Amino acid sequence: MNQKPEVSQEMRNAFVDGQLDAADWTAMVERVGADEALRRQVCELRTLKDMTRSAYAGLHPRRAAPPANRWGWARVAGMALVFVLAGWLAHDALERPRAVADLRGVAADRILVHVASSRGEVVDSALQEVEDYLRDARAAGRKVEVEIVANNTGMDILRADTSAYAKRLERLRAVYPNLTYIACNQTADRLRENGTAVRLLPGVHVAPTALDEIVKRMQQGWVYIRA
Amino acid sequence: MRGIFGLSAQLRARVEAQREPLYRLAHSWCRDAGLADDLVQEALLRALDRAAQLDDPQRLKSWLCAILANCLKDHFRRVRPLEPLDEDMPAQGETPEAASASSQLAARVRAEVERLPLGQRQVVALVDLEGFSYAEVGQILEVPIGTVMSRLCRAREALRARLIDFAAEQNDKVRSIR
Repeated sequence: MNQKPEVSQEMRNAFVDGQLDAADWTAMVERVGADEALRRQVCELRTLKDMTRSAYAGLHPRRAAPPANRWGWARVAGMALVFVLAGWLAHDALERPRAVADLRGVAADRILVHVASSRGEVVDSALQEVEDYLRDARAAGRKVEVEIVANNTGMDILRADTSAYAKRLERLRAVYPNLTYIACNQTADRLRENGTAVRLLPGVHVAPTALDEIVKRMQQGWVYIRA
Repeated sequence: MRGIFGLSAQLRARVEAQREPLYRLAHSWCRDAGLADDLVQEALLRALDRAAQLDDPQRLKSWLCAILANCLKDHFRRVRPLEPLDEDMPAQGETPEAASASSQLAARVRAEVERLPLGQRQVVALVDLEGFSYAEVGQILEVPIGTVMSRLCRAREALRARLIDFAAEQNDKVRSIR
């Protein structure tokens, strides 16, 4: 009995995916050359792999480059993201985004607070820190600007039908005109697609995406804080 | 914020190149264009938040993919019980019949990928769409390499059974048109 054992499916996949070491790869090449059935199986796997890759090649993010203005805002935002992410990844002269609890220690005059969760402790802490920061700045005679950008479940705080913070936000905005609320339109679109009517609180502005707004502000020198 | 603009064009290009691959992965995993947009946004925001954790810039792509996988996990945890990762029961995707009505091979292939259980289509997408090694896929999804290989085997076997004949038919049609 000199018959070689059948090549396992794992081995065939690893061959097609280039995951074998040199010795196993050479042995497989010899087997494939001598075994027609094995050759057919390997060809099928290669075909499947190519079909899968091709099937997804034409998919693009819906909001990355609107057809009406491919080189407009979305393009600028996309490039800005590149600069900012690249900046973070380069580890030079940049710090991690600060925790919201550090807010009062921030010396910068323009601050973006990103709220991506509707959890009470997250929102309460963010609003308290923002209020303290604005009060301290006013007392010190500093001109500051603060933006609260909400997406994901954090959007709930800016929606008229879901916000448990509507009165608090309204009061803050009345006391501090230098405070702005920004809602993520991508999150709003998702809610609408799922059949939810989205009504925002009065005075809430809308950005194409939270990411675009954050990147735009970071490029303008704002400090980014994730709540 | 100094340092943002003084970066190598090479690194910028590498980061820029990740947005679309992340979207394709997200789309193949979650089967929903809008949700895929959200997941990619969340992944990039988390990347901003955690950039200091990336020790080796060469690992940028797999690091972003791992963040994306966690975003998807968190999403399923939030909105519904976690989809079975690797069971024989097919996932609820568009039916192949509906997709084949379009007579497009790409739509049919995507429909079949979407029918795979989540764990299998994650592995297929990472290996076939993005060309990750089995070891890298194991790191991204936080599973042993043996699990990667077994999920890939099951996924490819299912796809082969459903698609090989269809692919041959399409090729025959193309040949007859020529």
